[in-house]
Amino acid sequence: MRILKNRIALWLLALLLPALPSKAQNPLDLERDTLPFFRGFAVSGEIIGAMQMILGDYGQYEAALRLNLRNRYFPIFEVGYGKASHEDDVVTGISYHTKAPYFRVGCDFNVAKNKRSSNRVYAGLRYAYTNYKVDISCQTFPDPTWKWPTSFDVKDIPCWQHWAEVVFGVDAQVFGPLHLGWSVRYRRRLFHEDGITGKTWYVPGYGTQDSSNLAATFNVIVDI
Amino acid sequence: MRIILLLGILFLVACSSIDCPVKNTVAVYYDVKQYDEEGELVTDTLKDTLWVWSRRVDGQDTLLNRLVGNTRFSLPISYQQPEDTLIFAIRDTSLVFTLDTVWLKKDDIPHFESVDCAAHFFHELTGVRCTHNGIDSLVLHTTSVTYDDGVTNLRIFFKDRQQVTPYY
Repeated sequence: MRILKNRIALWLLALLLPALPSKAQNPLDLERDTLPFFRGFAVSGEIIGAMQMILGDYGQYEAALRLNLRNRYFPIFEVGYGKASHEDDVVTGISYHTKAPYFRVGCDFNVAKNKRSSNRVYAGLRYAYTNYKVDISCQTFPDPTWKWPTSFDVKDIPCWQHWAEVVFGVDAQVFGPLHLGWSVRYRRRLFHEDGITGKTWYVPGYGTQDSSNLAATFNVIVDI
Repeated sequence: MRIILLLGILFLVACSSIDCPVKNTVAVYYDVKQYDEEGELVTDTLKDTLWVWSRRVDGQDTLLNRLVGNTRFSLPISYQQPEDTLIFAIRDTSLVFTLDTVWLKKDDIPHFESVDCAAHFFHELTGVRCTHNGIDSLVLHTTSVTYDDGVTNLRIFFKDRQQVTPYY
């Protein structure tokens, strides 16, 4: 029993040791946090979504406002406009159209050891929501059994989605107030309504549902 | 800085997967049923041979060919006709045929998975009626017709052979 207690004590000591400052010969010698509570804010624009919008069938324009609290906590509000315009798929003949705004709110935590550095490592959480309408149509195709010509054209299907994201990101100062940063995000749908047709494909701000739950962003950030 | 740019480019050229459902046959599932002496609903076996026909554009009218010994079978459902007309031909062991017509009324709902997956229709059965030469009755059980092959959409009761009106 005593051996077990000693082991637990050793484990607790091992867990607590890294939390102590490395130079803490004297526990009262801790560096006082002199940073003000509000350290300004930053605005940013997202590049990957914009590139997808220009080069592909879907994408989003997105901007964010991020507050800096003591260089440690960064409440963030992201707002964007997502759009998909997939016309007459070569294989399936399906067209899909949607466009809608979306938003995310959350907070990043600077997990870098030196929080005074202008380069930061973030971990964070987001809650997001969008309300959108979808148009889905299909070129005429034969009924697989009866062979009659068949088609459909459904417009303005009302849909909505709540989702959450776990974010890990890096933000590096390029010069002056200009930063570049990327983030990797794990997304998970919380609640959703996909309309009468069963499913939707591209959800503004969330991306396509047939891809993985991982996403990435690349941001140009200006500290103000 | 270079690493950040490289990761951005890698993300842009990353692969995506297509995830269409493997089970994608939309069909109406019939369970063959009967009532036993105590009046309990029990599973019946198709003792006679069953054909099902319907008029099709390509002239290939057979939907089901020589089915016998089954307790359950499935039939296709049209994508966009408001009502399907099916001819059930039943041949008993003494080679006597009886013919019945089944009318299946339905609403058609386009079903979408992804732009990469073929379009389908799901259906909501709204009514069923039939003639009663070999078929005793046809009862709607589950009205929703989807990819789900575990449901029973219709319960079909065949007449006892003594009750059958033969077709000559």
